[in-house]
Amino acid sequence: MENNNIDVLIIGAGPAGVAAGIGAKKEGAERVVVLERDWDLGGILQQCIHPGFGLRTFREELTGPEYMHRFINMAHEAGVEFRTNTMVFQIDKDSNSVWTMNKERGIECLNPKSIVLTMGCRERPAGAIRIPGTRPAGIYTAGTAQRFVNMEGYMPGKRAVILGSGDIGLIMARRMIWEGAEVEGVYEVMSWPGGLRRNIAQCLDDYGIPFHLQTTVKKIHGTDRLEGVTVAKVDEKLNPIDGTERYVPCDTLLLAIGLIPENELTRMAGIEIHPVTGGPVVNDLLQTSNPAVFAAGNVVIVYDLVDNVSDEGLIAGANAAKFAAGKISPNVKKIPVKGGENVRLYSPQFITGESDTIIYMRVTHPIEGPCKVTAEPGLYTQKLRYARPGEMNEVRLKADVIKSKPDLKEITIDIKPL
Amino acid sequence: MNYDVIIIGSGVTGAGIARELSKYKLKIAVLDKASELPSGASRANSSMIHGGFDDKPGTMKSKFCVPGNKLWHKLTQELDIDFNPCGSYVCAFNDDEIKHLELLLEQGKTNGAPGVEIISGDKLREKEPNVSKEIVAALWSPEAGIINNFEAVNALIENARLNNADLFLETLATGLLFDEKNNIRGVTTNIGEFFAPVVINAGGVHSGEISKWAGDESFKIIPTKGEYLLLDRTTKGFINSFLFSCPSKAGKGITVLQTAEGNLMSGPTATEQEDPEDRATTPEGLAEVLKGARRLVPDFPVKLNITTFAGVRANTESGDFEIKVLKTPRGFVNVAGIKSPGFTSSPAIAEYVADLLKEELADRIKLIPNKKFIPERRNIPRFLYLSMEERKKLAEKDPAYAQIVCRCETVTEGQVLEAIRRGAKTVTAVKMMTRAGTGRCQGGFCCPRVAEILSRELNIPLDEITRHGGESKLLAGKTKEFLLKGAE
Amino acid sequence: MSEERNLVEKKIICVSCPLGCGLNVILSNGEVASVTGNNCPRGFAYAKTEVKDPRRVFASTVRVEGGKLPVCPIRSKTPAPKGKLKEIAKAVAELNVRAPIKIGQVLIHNVCGTDVDIVASRDLN
Repeated sequence: MENNNIDVLIIGAGPAGVAAGIGAKKEGAERVVVLERDWDLGGILQQCIHPGFGLRTFREELTGPEYMHRFINMAHEAGVEFRTNTMVFQIDKDSNSVWTMNKERGIECLNPKSIVLTMGCRERPAGAIRIPGTRPAGIYTAGTAQRFVNMEGYMPGKRAVILGSGDIGLIMARRMIWEGAEVEGVYEVMSWPGGLRRNIAQCLDDYGIPFHLQTTVKKIHGTDRLEGVTVAKVDEKLNPIDGTERYVPCDTLLLAIGLIPENELTRMAGIEIHPVTGGPVVNDLLQTSNPAVFAAGNVVIVYDLVDNVSDEGLIAGANAAKFAAGKISPNVKKIPVKGGENVRLYSPQFITGESDTIIYMRVTHPIEGPCKVTAEPGLYTQKLRYARPGEMNEVRLKADVIKSKPDLKEITIDIKPL
Repeated sequence: MNYDVIIIGSGVTGAGIARELSKYKLKIAVLDKASELPSGASRANSSMIHGGFDDKPGTMKSKFCVPGNKLWHKLTQELDIDFNPCGSYVCAFNDDEIKHLELLLEQGKTNGAPGVEIISGDKLREKEPNVSKEIVAALWSPEAGIINNFEAVNALIENARLNNADLFLETLATGLLFDEKNNIRGVTTNIGEFFAPVVINAGGVHSGEISKWAGDESFKIIPTKGEYLLLDRTTKGFINSFLFSCPSKAGKGITVLQTAEGNLMSGPTATEQEDPEDRATTPEGLAEVLKGARRLVPDFPVKLNITTFAGVRANTESGDFEIKVLKTPRGFVNVAGIKSPGFTSSPAIAEYVADLLKEELADRIKLIPNKKFIPERRNIPRFLYLSMEERKKLAEKDPAYAQIVCRCETVTEGQVLEAIRRGAKTVTAVKMMTRAGTGRCQGGFCCPRVAEILSRELNIPLDEITRHGGESKLLAGKTKEFLLKGAE
Repeated sequence: MSEERNLVEKKIICVSCPLGCGLNVILSNGEVASVTGNNCPRGFAYAKTEVKDPRRVFASTVRVEGGKLPVCPIRSKTPAPKGKLKEIAKAVAELNVRAPIKIGQVLIHNVCGTDVDIVASRDLN
């Protein structure tokens, strides 16, 4: 447990961090250490006990803990070191010193050759949407409720309303039903669902839970414990429409109103944050604006599939190992990627063309019909049957295609209806 | 239970009086219906220590505000309360409003508010570059500041307790007890009777009702809701001080400020209502706050909003404080209608109340100085503010300081444990004493962890832990229970 | 012989993978005659079971004694009949397991007579 000579230090042992550890070891890094604030490895997937993970990687649908079990075993075999109960609370801007705390070891300072940020994301809290009313007990983000139910063994309430249709909210609707609680309905302010269609089908439709689009919670009632919410239809500007209010008695309000990359440490380290993704600006090596710091997974951009998170972790870990070994030139060419028509967000934002790469992106609104993803000038085209904000799209770029265009100044990605 | 003095209400007024009276050899009981302090208007306000120019000369407010300000400068040192002596500006957008600034300047001089002056809009923008370009002038008050109101009330009451005052939480005063001569004998509560020859009504928004128990209906409390928006601490420095609007027909005007901890905040509205307990925010109120905030600070970054809240202030018809010893029944003191600048005035009010007891109620209690009075109190270590060396030392001494509980505000388990040692029993109490849960995720991360620590330390099942006392249980039972009960 | 065919159209969403294809299933006398809207053969297979014998993987927790957590996640090893999920949830609720538990360990054989096993989905010491 020596603190010197760490080649690659990885912050967070969720799917991205564990994969980054494997990636770094496979690339030949001597000492790879993953820090985890919880007592166990696996990150948020520890509490995602439903199946639906790893179909692409393992050809079967695993639960979160099962998926992580396989990756953690691989990491142990590869010789990755883990430190649990260890929280990073500061990264110094200039020295890249990483400050950790642990009850046994106290406060320590680590100075690795490279760092991979894999802190994942957090849920948007109630305050972000400013619901008027009181502040009683019984309002939780879906993920907090998930932790209570699946890890602590407690129920947040008996009758829930779910605001927002992100996947965790849909999954929690079913989970509450399976524990004998009631779910009055799911309310989504937008005119399209936030989560995957199959989760609407298997988590709501299967149990007859009503799903209300273009509807929001307008008011919270109750002083001690939540007593009910007023829901209302919204207009095209997302403002509640007078006269459409309905009072819904409930003791629990679960929020599934979006995920935000968790970047407190990134900001502290002075790393450039992208205003739209909320994650660090990265190139296709998953290198941030600080050349020694890499980032992967939901800390960069919120993914739909854990398979993508693990893939990106492997890449970031491998490149961090290369950097630690002095194998990444500081003068590598970086071609900026611009988001064009109908593109809300995407990552990475710069392409070196050093290897084949995938740009992950989301559309601004649903395009229900044939459309085309392109990367100009003439780098990639793919036809799609539809494009929806809840489902990421990909642009696959070949290194040789990029290399064949030495004058390439900029790449523009679009999703256009056909 | 027998006491010399019972104080109803442990807001900043009651807690301040308790602390002041604990300088004397008195048995003091402080009763508050809440499960944690502060509650009521002392929790939900602008956390402003006013400069003292806003109050009409001759009023009680004008009498206590400037001395109160001075006392806070000292008290925040003595009691280790987070305080930012940042000063305040009243912003004027036109000539009429400049006239108002001139009036305030005169009042300030009369009230003895030091250093108050009118500056140009440009001068203001040198200090506060994010304010509106349309502001033409501002009244600068250098002695104003912003206090951590959560810490302040807890500091006062902790110090009073250190000097032998007793605090009774979750204790709702329900009436008064009178002796055979119809003079004050004590207070009835939900947990039993408390006896004392002197009762002080510091009941805030309920002080009108309490006064009626003693037969004094000479004033009426008009519960007045003030709604606020609170933004993430990443807004630190966007505004560095406290900005007032000039009052208009629409009200006293929305303010924009940076809290002592660095959050941007805006409010309050002023909506009169019947219900003293209605602290619900409203769409109209929040919209009014946002509009007012944007008038002062056009780029007010509302996207970084982390919560909204409302407080209910104890306005009076006269607009002034109602502080007096009743002639009958003997032994009853009203310290009622304490609203803005109530927080600022409270230490001066406390001294005044001590004088009133000496002068007017000497037949009932004697104020003999307590030579063992300890004026100092230390706050729970604020890990966030400490240097790395101090943090290391703390963690070496107690490993609980090497465990983060609230990641937004960098609050350690050590701080939570210390809050519990100092009497915290609810998640909100821990929040008031440590700031755990006040950050951008509003307890999403730390609430379950704080609840677990409370459960472990107090030996209470997790599903009995409450958010803020009463029926505010966080959880509804263990998993499987609903299924098994349903199966029976 | 008269050909009396009873044609029924059903719209279902395939839950086999995150794509969630919207399937149009034509049933002829209760048998799947055609499936459209699927992107892969799994959609066809899903439609066939979904109309006759809908099944879902059940995932929940069991109470644990002496473990680092008070509950351990479990799942049905294979998809269980949809109509039996409530019964299975109750059977799982009644269970108390002693730690240590190994991932994949069978906790209930043939739960509720469905021929489906309930297994632990993590290690718990």
